Amino acid sequence: MALDGGLLVRHRVPFSQEPSGLKGVVNRFRITPMAVFWTLITFILVIPILLFLSVAFSPRLMSQGHQWFTLSSFKPVFSGAYGIALLHSLIIGVVAAVGAMIIALSMAWLVIRTNTPARVLWNTTIFALFLAPSYLIALGWQRLFEQRGVLEIMGFSVAPIRNLLYGPVGICMVLMVKGIPFAYLVIANAMRGLGEEFEQAVRVHGGSRFEAFKVMASLLMPSLFSAMAIVFAEAISDFGVASTLSSVGHFSVATYQLYQGINSIPVNFPVSAATSITLLALVILAILAQNKALRGRSFRTLSGRTRPATLTKLSLFGKISTSGYIVVLLIVTLGIPVFGAISASMLQGLGSLLSHYSINFDNYSRVLHSRFLRNPLIYSTEMSLITATLAVGLAAIASKVLTSARNSRSKRFVDFFLLAAVALPGIVFAIGYIFTYNLKFINDLGLHIYGTSFLLALAYTANALPSTSRSLVGNMGQIQESMMDAARVHGSGAAKAWVDVTMPLIARPLLIAWLLTFSGTLLELPVSELLYPPGSPPVAVGIELSLAGFDYGGGTAIEVLSILWALVVVGIAFFLFNRFAPPGWKRLGNLR
Amino acid sequence: MEEIGKSTMSDNAPVNAYRVEIRGASKHYGALKALNQFDLTIEPGTFTVLLGPSGSGKSTLIRSIAGIERLDSGSIAFGERVVADNGFHMAPEKRDLAMVFQDYALWPHMTAFENVAYALKRRSLDASESDRRVNEALERVGLSSKGPNYPFQLSGGEQQRVALARAIVGRPSLLLFDEPLSNLDADLRERLRVEIATLTREIGATACYITHDQSEAFALADQIGVLRAGELQQIAAPEEIYRSPANRFVAAFTGTSGSFLGVVTEVHGHHVQVALGKRRIECRTSTPLKVGDSVEVLIRPSATSLSHHHSNSLPAIVLDVAYRGRGYEHVVECEFGVISSVFATESTARGSRVEIYIDPHNCLAFPSEKRVEVDLSISELTPIK
Repeated sequence: MALDGGLLVRHRVPFSQEPSGLKGVVNRFRITPMAVFWTLITFILVIPILLFLSVAFSPRLMSQGHQWFTLSSFKPVFSGAYGIALLHSLIIGVVAAVGAMIIALSMAWLVIRTNTPARVLWNTTIFALFLAPSYLIALGWQRLFEQRGVLEIMGFSVAPIRNLLYGPVGICMVLMVKGIPFAYLVIANAMRGLGEEFEQAVRVHGGSRFEAFKVMASLLMPSLFSAMAIVFAEAISDFGVASTLSSVGHFSVATYQLYQGINSIPVNFPVSAATSITLLALVILAILAQNKALRGRSFRTLSGRTRPATLTKLSLFGKISTSGYIVVLLIVTLGIPVFGAISASMLQGLGSLLSHYSINFDNYSRVLHSRFLRNPLIYSTEMSLITATLAVGLAAIASKVLTSARNSRSKRFVDFFLLAAVALPGIVFAIGYIFTYNLKFINDLGLHIYGTSFLLALAYTANALPSTSRSLVGNMGQIQESMMDAARVHGSGAAKAWVDVTMPLIARPLLIAWLLTFSGTLLELPVSELLYPPGSPPVAVGIELSLAGFDYGGGTAIEVLSILWALVVVGIAFFLFNRFAPPGWKRLGNLR
Repeated sequence: MEEIGKSTMSDNAPVNAYRVEIRGASKHYGALKALNQFDLTIEPGTFTVLLGPSGSGKSTLIRSIAGIERLDSGSIAFGERVVADNGFHMAPEKRDLAMVFQDYALWPHMTAFENVAYALKRRSLDASESDRRVNEALERVGLSSKGPNYPFQLSGGEQQRVALARAIVGRPSLLLFDEPLSNLDADLRERLRVEIATLTREIGATACYITHDQSEAFALADQIGVLRAGELQQIAAPEEIYRSPANRFVAAFTGTSGSFLGVVTEVHGHHVQVALGKRRIECRTSTPLKVGDSVEVLIRPSATSLSHHHSNSLPAIVLDVAYRGRGYEHVVECEFGVISSVFATESTARGSRVEIYIDPHNCLAFPSEKRVEVDLSISELTPIK
């Protein structure tokens, strides 16, 4: 054993020699998965976001004014109608985030850790909640409670509820409902990876059931904060409620002000960009608070040693009360809007001044037989398949970067741009795309992609990437790094180790993320509206066109069929997973 | 890029054990120096244990050897093949080694059998041969019936056995152990230690094992390297480390029963007399000392006994006594401090007054930074009896 410090006789073997010439150049610029990832992130996220946001500071850069640098665009944001709308958005965002997190936490515990009978209902229903964009939930409520709506036709007097619905209470409720599935999936996935030893440790040391729950909640803290951050960001950047309840009820929110700014003549892009930056700052403040609260705490709990938790056996009273809670929640979140949509889709004459109404399936028949009404569903399905696959692939890489142990520059960079994209309303995002891909130098480069399905798919992907990535971060963060290291030292390359180890461990979350992205894209409204290729309207545009033509029956029938179709895809995907995935993949995160 | 050990290996063929040479290895995490110009050579087929406290750089070193970490500078070579050298970094999967992790790092979605079989994929064996070897490896670690079990269905000891089977099944040229026993209870630790020692030597691979447990290190190693703050303090056979530690840190980290501060009163080559208050004690030293130097005297557990020797003894009172099967270990307090692990075949009751014999050969004096004041002119300084 030498400690002699003598010269090491070293024979450089061929593989370790520096490549030279063309080979060296190729090696230096070799196409790696990370290189592809960064290229895509740059083109679908960074450039469109930066170009649009830069208009707030430099209107001249995008030919929107004469000044190269100014802060005057921010002045209107904090005063008058913009200021009030911004304050409304902030309040609504906080209420929706806290409410959705509390409900989601209670539901995750009931579904994953207890034997409450109604949990089976919830797991199926949670996806339906995801499928329905906020504008569809709001439209369901609207169809029921509007003047000469379904309930008034049925003879009910619903004016007091209508007044509540078309104001802050209704907006908060719909955004909270829309936030619950986001929060639920983040919390539930983390809870599934949490063994029961932590709870047992509390109980054997004299802690009550409630104290064990508190310990579990603190172990779940990263997921709880992530859930609130996602719901807050989604709520303040939501456009669906802004375009429905907010506009009808005259309770302005920031995204609706943005929309009005973009639709006014002349278009005030600098102020819209400044409003977007302000919204972005609000989200970043929320995330900074989250990071500060979590500083220095490690929550890596998923490893080969984790034992699955056993279910808490509820008493009869417990089963009845928890099932009652779940059923009430289902009725409020899904039952009422679904009833609104289905009843409206079956009512002939809704939206007209007729005094006689009939109930039948004529609207569905029209949708299935009309190429004009049917094709949007086919087109949206194709786009959603591409988008979901691309977005989940990128999100898996992004979440890996975000959960790496080192606080690298790339981690901070991805974190910032994903946050920025979450905070940016979809409609603003779409405008960023219009700006960027209409620029002269982009066209000069031969990239004539504006108005194509390709650009729409990229925009969908960029729009879905932030929330998809965030939903995977909790799971990715629970994987012990030593498991990947073990795969590497036992002979697998980085890509193979990822496929063999990481992917099976997060197979279920990946599947869920894919289904969420698929469903979300299928019914996406703002990006579809601004970027769809001429002659190929996606579903959301098809519904909007029908409703704009007062074909409430046809519009709601497309809506119902689209959601049913999304549910069918979810069902098929889960069937295939449960049927064909290796047993070890299914064991992790499985509902017992 | 050529991989090491890609060719298939026959079952009982001797492993082509690596000679591992590390030269000038440095690694920083921000301002923290995890490794600082580190040099080390591990001869082929030997079992080397790197011993050090938390933050000494041992994990960084073993992860750099595995290829999981990249060195900032310096080189690592396996035999004549350089695997890391100033920017060049060979991927871990190409180094033909295996590793046992502290947290086992078993893949929870794979059964015990699948976990072990994974390490054989790089050998490109046919399925029946692969299955045979996996079964053999599981049988070798006493888990032949646990192949279909998932990690969560196994105890901690069984999980670590699966990790051990995974490491040896491919008969790698280098076996790395990252504190593999630290999560196990004492009994399991001892049993697995024996298995690690025998299995590693059986396949003939070079082994590098890191731990902070000195008893584990002495039991396993052909050679022990003691690390501190990213630097190698000493590397030698266990006996040499124990008998002649290079410095106070090595001595303290490899096992002491207690320590006293004193002043050198006489020097006779490697033996010195040290005044402790009004008493004198004889001990060894490996560093040059002169009369009047302040020293710290470190006492090895093997240096002490309860006896009626009349030389190099100190009066003490028994504080505690613990039964250890083959005898009793006492904790005693003398006027200069507490001494633990004082062995005797018979128990002595707590509170008893005893004489502690201190063997001068296992009692080591090192220069002390702390200045000790003893009046050497006092005539009644108690001489060695």
